[in-house]
Amino acid sequence: MDFGSIMIQIFSGLSRAMMLFLLSSGLSLIFGVMNILNFAHATLWLVAGYLTFSLFQGFGQMFGDSSLLLIPAIVLATCAMFALGWAIERFLIRRMYERELPEQLLMTFALILILGDLIKLIWGVENRRIFLPIEPMEAFGSFINPYFFVIIAVGFGVAIGLWWFLHRTRYGKTVRAAVHSRDMVSALGIRIPTIYAGVFALGVSIAGLAAGVFLPIMPIGLGVDMDLIVQCFAVVVIGGFGSILGTFVASIIVGIVYAFSILIWPDGAIAIIFLILVSVLIWRPWGLFGNEMRY
Amino acid sequence: MADESKFQLFAKSISRRDFVIKSVAAGIFALLPRYVQAAAGKPYKIGVCLPTTGPGANYSVRPIKGLPLIAAEINKRGGLLGKHPIELYFRDTQTKPDVGAREARSLILNQNVQTIIGTWSSAVAMAIQEIIHEKKVLHLAATSNSSKIVNENYTPYSFQFGPNSRMQSAATVVAVLKLIKKRGWKKYLTLGQDYEWGRDAQHVFVDTLTKKSPQTKLIKELWCKLGETDFTSYITAVMALKPDFMFGAIAGKDNETFLQQAKAAGLFKRVAYPGVFLPVTELMQQRKTLPRHLIGINRCPFFAHMDNPMMQGYVKTYQAKFGKDDYPDDFACMYFDALNGLAQGAAKAGSTNSDAIKDAMKGATMDTCRGKLAFRECNNQLDAPSYVGEVVDTPDYPFPIFDPKSLIIVKGKDVWIPTCEEVRKLQKKRS
Repeated sequence: MDFGSIMIQIFSGLSRAMMLFLLSSGLSLIFGVMNILNFAHATLWLVAGYLTFSLFQGFGQMFGDSSLLLIPAIVLATCAMFALGWAIERFLIRRMYERELPEQLLMTFALILILGDLIKLIWGVENRRIFLPIEPMEAFGSFINPYFFVIIAVGFGVAIGLWWFLHRTRYGKTVRAAVHSRDMVSALGIRIPTIYAGVFALGVSIAGLAAGVFLPIMPIGLGVDMDLIVQCFAVVVIGGFGSILGTFVASIIVGIVYAFSILIWPDGAIAIIFLILVSVLIWRPWGLFGNEMRY
Repeated sequence: MADESKFQLFAKSISRRDFVIKSVAAGIFALLPRYVQAAAGKPYKIGVCLPTTGPGANYSVRPIKGLPLIAAEINKRGGLLGKHPIELYFRDTQTKPDVGAREARSLILNQNVQTIIGTWSSAVAMAIQEIIHEKKVLHLAATSNSSKIVNENYTPYSFQFGPNSRMQSAATVVAVLKLIKKRGWKKYLTLGQDYEWGRDAQHVFVDTLTKKSPQTKLIKELWCKLGETDFTSYITAVMALKPDFMFGAIAGKDNETFLQQAKAAGLFKRVAYPGVFLPVTELMQQRKTLPRHLIGINRCPFFAHMDNPMMQGYVKTYQAKFGKDDYPDDFACMYFDALNGLAQGAAKAGSTNSDAIKDAMKGATMDTCRGKLAFRECNNQLDAPSYVGEVVDTPDYPFPIFDPKSLIIVKGKDVWIPTCEEVRKLQKKRS
């Protein structure tokens, strides 16, 4: 295999990795802070995708066709998902904090079915995607999809942004403190429910952002969410539940290993990912960067 | 007193036996028309098992829209045999064999349907076949097209209205052989969906091409999971392996996803992709992005048969309902043939009994929107053609079609593989 092919495979793996990270980071954040395993995370991502699609179409009718209209559509959809996330936490999730994990899972699974039917009612069953005039770019003696770089940049941007938020802002530090001792944070007069609502809304809005970013290269449709949530769980388990750094590293491992497995041993590509998952579960059940105490 | 005398007079004029006999007779005559009418107008119930979710949902949209129109047209003539109006019962199979089987069983046991139409995904169709075979209910397959439906998993109650995977792959070989000769291709790879249909289609293509062109080497087999959303790594892997051409066995939503991602990644600039599955659904959905001059294959494009009055009529009815920009896709047209085929089968049998219809349809020639086509006696496979052509724009439609000048229509009977003798051997495995 020549150098160009290796480089292109690395970029394709990184692109897949960042797609997984954008989707998994919200899931990991929500679990890390709130101890809620949100099975409906990918379905909320799907709702955001449909919303972005409708906004993009609406803007197109108002201002004429332009690829740049995708940016305000993504921003608005992300804000809308923040609001939706807040509402879901306020009216549904909040009632489940004291319940057992299976009950939480059942509730979020019910949410998948409800949202799925709502999507069917509002948008129908046809695939939706946004058409952008993306032309392949010549690189390393071959061709590459230039949109890969957009996804990689957004993925790194979100990773850095989340790190900055959690480590450099007062609110972020409070969130981290709440992870370790919610009673102490509460005793300091900080409203834990507000923190939880904010974190849940943030996690959902990152999924909203991811949906908008994916739309030009990946059509969305009912059922796609269920496929993605399995991969997200794999990433989050490998990285360690609640660890953003772990999710980031695990996404890169999964993305790159998958890309090269396709090239070298295509039949075993999925199996290798889940072998890594099984190995982590056996030797380090709290994940590569997870917290042993939490486990 | 006057009333009493009248009653006594009446009582004397009729014996008890006469009274009983006449009362029973009057009752029978009073009720008979109701029962006669009920027998004449007893609806014929059909279960439609198609996915509205999952990878096959986009190929089911137009059949779901079109089937009520076709049933309404038949019902205008009184229904099957002119007296059994068709009733359709829709169920979502979610493109999952267990769900499809469960829905089919529920339709048969709870709704008493006499025919099951559908479905997408051959794995789901084969799961449904187990139930229809057990319950002796007709099964009209018009989307799922694994050859196993009519061979290994054959049941006399199943009828296949589209070209099966073997026929379709063999038709692709016809086109590919011409291109191998013209362009001097030497090596290729395959990318297929890792499930029943994908495996079957790939296997037949490789097998047939190896027999006809042994010097053309297969360098890699790639398999993607059903419902894949990110083909990036496959696309870059194909480019890294540098084949002269690739064969794809990808359908449904995954096909659209693959084509869009492949185009943006420049795959078609590096590797030829003849025989990509491009039903009218894809031509319409991807009108803006589909690379022109791709060599595609489809199963029942309406534009190839606009000289047929049945096709003209269906397109007209469909557009009257759904607007001038919408057209029935391959699947909607094959379901048109399936429902009309059932009506013709019932007329030939003179009955709506499933066994009578299946016997009447066996080896029968049907009027279809693709012209007159006959069922193969040994496995109920319709002599359905495959269409291989080059994607070009046209002023006639708001989406690209296959170039009518170079369109190759491969007749079903030209690629009927294997032979009936071999088919019977395969069928024995089931029995």
